[in-house]
Amino acid sequence: MKSSPAKRRTIWTIISVLVVLYALFPVASILATSFKLPSDLTSGTFLPTKWSFSNYEQILVGDAQGLFLSSLRNSIGICLISTFIAVILATLCAYAIARLDFPGKKLVLTTALGVSIFPVISIVTPLFNLWRNIGLYDTWPGLIIPYLSLTLPISIWTLAAFFRQIPWELEQAAQVDGATTWQAFRKAIVPLAAPGVFTTAIIAFFIAWNDFVYGISLTSTEAARPVPAALAFFTGASQFEEPTGAISAAAIIVTIPVVVLVLAFQRQIVSGLTQGAVKG
Amino acid sequence: MPKDARYWGHTRKGARAAAGVALALGATLLSGCGTDEGAAPTLTWYINPDAGGQAELAKQCSDASGGAYTIETSLLPNDAAAQREQLARRLAAGDKSMDIMSLDPPNVPEYAEPGYLAPVPDDVAERTTEGVLEGALAGAKWKDKVVAVPFWANTQILWYRKSVASAAGLDMTQPVTWDQIIEAASSQDKYIGVQGARAESMTVWVNALVASAGGKIVENPDAAADEIKLGLDTDAGKQAAEVVSTIGKEGLGGPGLPTQTENTSMIQFQGDQGSFMVNYPFVWPATNASVEEGALPASLIDDIGWALYPAMNEGEETAPPLGGINLGVGSNSQHPDLAYQAIECIVSPENQAQYFETNGNPPSNEAAYDSPGLEETFPMAPTIRDSLELAVPRPQTPYYNEISTGIQQTWTPPSDVNPDTTPAESQEFILEVLRGEKLL
Amino acid sequence: MSTSVEAVRDAPARSTQPKQPLSDRAKAERRLGFWLAGPAFIIMLAVTAYPILLALWESLFKYRLTAPSDREFIGLGNYATILSDTLFWRDLGVTVLITVITVVVELILGFALALIMNSALKAVRGWLRTAILVPYGIITVVSAFAWFYAFDINSGYVNNWFSWVPGVDADLNWFADTWTALSVIMASEIWKTTPFISLLLLAGLAQVPGELTEAAEVDGASWWQRMSKVIIPNMKAAIMVAVLFRALDAFRIFDNVYIMTNGAYGTEVLSLLAYRTSITRLEIGMGSAVSVLLFICVIIICFIAIKLFKVDLSGARGGN
Repeated sequence: MKSSPAKRRTIWTIISVLVVLYALFPVASILATSFKLPSDLTSGTFLPTKWSFSNYEQILVGDAQGLFLSSLRNSIGICLISTFIAVILATLCAYAIARLDFPGKKLVLTTALGVSIFPVISIVTPLFNLWRNIGLYDTWPGLIIPYLSLTLPISIWTLAAFFRQIPWELEQAAQVDGATTWQAFRKAIVPLAAPGVFTTAIIAFFIAWNDFVYGISLTSTEAARPVPAALAFFTGASQFEEPTGAISAAAIIVTIPVVVLVLAFQRQIVSGLTQGAVKG
Repeated sequence: MPKDARYWGHTRKGARAAAGVALALGATLLSGCGTDEGAAPTLTWYINPDAGGQAELAKQCSDASGGAYTIETSLLPNDAAAQREQLARRLAAGDKSMDIMSLDPPNVPEYAEPGYLAPVPDDVAERTTEGVLEGALAGAKWKDKVVAVPFWANTQILWYRKSVASAAGLDMTQPVTWDQIIEAASSQDKYIGVQGARAESMTVWVNALVASAGGKIVENPDAAADEIKLGLDTDAGKQAAEVVSTIGKEGLGGPGLPTQTENTSMIQFQGDQGSFMVNYPFVWPATNASVEEGALPASLIDDIGWALYPAMNEGEETAPPLGGINLGVGSNSQHPDLAYQAIECIVSPENQAQYFETNGNPPSNEAAYDSPGLEETFPMAPTIRDSLELAVPRPQTPYYNEISTGIQQTWTPPSDVNPDTTPAESQEFILEVLRGEKLL
Repeated sequence: MSTSVEAVRDAPARSTQPKQPLSDRAKAERRLGFWLAGPAFIIMLAVTAYPILLALWESLFKYRLTAPSDREFIGLGNYATILSDTLFWRDLGVTVLITVITVVVELILGFALALIMNSALKAVRGWLRTAILVPYGIITVVSAFAWFYAFDINSGYVNNWFSWVPGVDADLNWFADTWTALSVIMASEIWKTTPFISLLLLAGLAQVPGELTEAAEVDGASWWQRMSKVIIPNMKAAIMVAVLFRALDAFRIFDNVYIMTNGAYGTEVLSLLAYRTSITRLEIGMGSAVSVLLFICVIIICFIAIKLFKVDLSGARGGN
């Protein structure tokens, strides 16, 4: 394409607008729905005919407040903790894979891969029975542990890829200076690895945040129910009226953290995702 | 596990709340609480979502108990199938926190049969079933024994647009039949409001149709899974299929019929195409709210009339659907006596009337309908009471879920129903599922 | 630790390690390796392998949660029932159909997006990435609701907007028919997951040596020739990995179907069948058998991909 810069610019503007439209339209759609009054839901138009905050009021200060805010707290808490644990464990594991010579590396990576493709639905029933027996049903740890099966594999793969790009001469230099393997890891490598770890954490958080099956199967009260599961608990003015507005408003609120993280860290997320899956 | 560990784990928050109530009570009833050791027991009430009425009753009854117990509510999912699933799993796991449960009547046998429900003490059963409308009481029984306490009862009535009925020349002061409203709607080129979605509402409809034609979906509800006999492949089943199929094939249910729920059929009824609709009483407060919001014309309210659910055959009695909530006590509850005490408080006719007025859910007890002012909020209250008298519960069997899902899968979409084959096919399918020979 | 050590022993011997006594340092390194990798390994196994074994055991029983006393060992009876039932095969068919269509569409769309991101002007690159990451990060359930409300005959506006398209009018009930309902389900799935595939492909694009494309351009190769002769062959590995990952993910589709149709009108997928059987019907035995079959399907797909198409999953492992 050997066109003039002005023409190129126009073409790129059009393409960019199309891509942004593609990416954001469904979000805009549910955003518009979230401002509709119940009577406006059937108007068949994209925008509300009358803008109203009543749906947000319902879930933030109204009837559905207890349901929504507690699930929001659960979601944030559970996802942060499971992300934190996954990243710590994955950091250790990925370091060993990238740097140390020990048999079973391939096994660990294959297991991670196997776990990441595991059909979640296959294990919720046995997990449910197990959790009941050991008292983890409807508790935070009862979700944090299964979430590790979602967040650990991708963290291990992403971090292993990051770690391979670290200039390991530094570590060797530290070892020559008399540091043990562990000290070399801690002093020389951790600071270099920190950005990768952070990116991995964001990706892991997204995955945990997205969970639905564990959320609906392993919780039953506000003690641990996360947001995606709570959406099924909203109700209209009576049991037969559909909670479209409340669900839309809640959906928008849980999308805000995603948008904020993406806005702030798009570069890191992109490099993390691309390095984790394909040799970087 | 230490005896009470799990119990206390579940109710730590409750204990704190109870302590708060105890303190508050202590201030007003200084002497009364003195002998009590520690906080009052907390009863957990698993409620289906409503407009806050059950939580309010929980508070009132806790206060009225004078510190004997505190009821804490815990919310179940919106969807009836999901409610059943949550309760069944907890009951099966021997959860000790199942003190009071809001139960959908068709699910009662499934809990009663394996002994998951604490027996209703005879005196409680006697007091709480006195004056309870026939249909509602049937939904609280299993093998002729009261196993749950009727709380509120729901039923569908026939809502109609006066303008359409009079244009079609249908006399609504007399009982009407399905054939009549089908003819009236089709002569006026309007839609009939029914629930054709593949959901519980489809079973509700089919059951009412079969029962109105004098049949029964399940002949022997007490039987074991592989001995159940169905009454779908009968003349009554065929008549029911004819109604469903006519409305479906002739497009009388509107384009949304295959996904039509109670809510969407109401929306259709409120619009220009509305004519007749079978639906629950929530229609009334919901329509009034929309009119107040300005979304619907005020003239609509005056155009809405109501009558008993349509009959199948002229001169025969109709059998309207029955819904509602019964209250049950889990057999592993630590305080069954207190739970039944609390239930007696909750289901008192005054409280049922209050719940009707605030949340739109009709009382199961006849006495509640005498409550003054009720007819101002719900002018159709007498029709509802009459309907509850005639209402027929859905099959009371532990295998209700299989039967209902089987009906939903074979009777939808309505336009695919064939009166000559659907009843037989659906009967065969459900029996195979019950014998464990087929997936559902 | 014993699990990992034993499992390690079973792993194929590494050719780079000639059999000779290990030095103390090597032993220490090995030990550290076990200690560092062990916890993650054990947790991953514990939350997946143990439950699936339990499911395997329970699938041999006729066992309904609400009738515990009727529990009865029936061997492979549940599997016989499932495999002889057309419902299972139909659900499998729908699942495979969704998998194939979504992966193909996503591959094309994702490749286009990757090309756009790869050659975009610096000024817009950041914006494009940000926009594309929004669907990636959004909760699937939220996406499902967004698409559902847009197409729903009552609350939707799509029928209004697209009434000029033949076949679309105000009376089109998208969720009442298998094909229209599946289209919306797949649209939501594609929207949400294309960014992932496009990012994998973007990484693959970066692997294509710039000299090759430039040389081809100098030789007068058209855009299409450069694409098919140089770029695509050079990123075959990336494409394969992306396809496999997405195919396995699509095969597990649940959230979108659950929210939009709950499996009505021929839209049921295997995950939903497993969920409905074991969790809604509380038929633990039969449900576990469906779960095990689903798991076996995933393994088969993986096996086919690795053996037949030679997808090199160790791409990320190679080291430097």
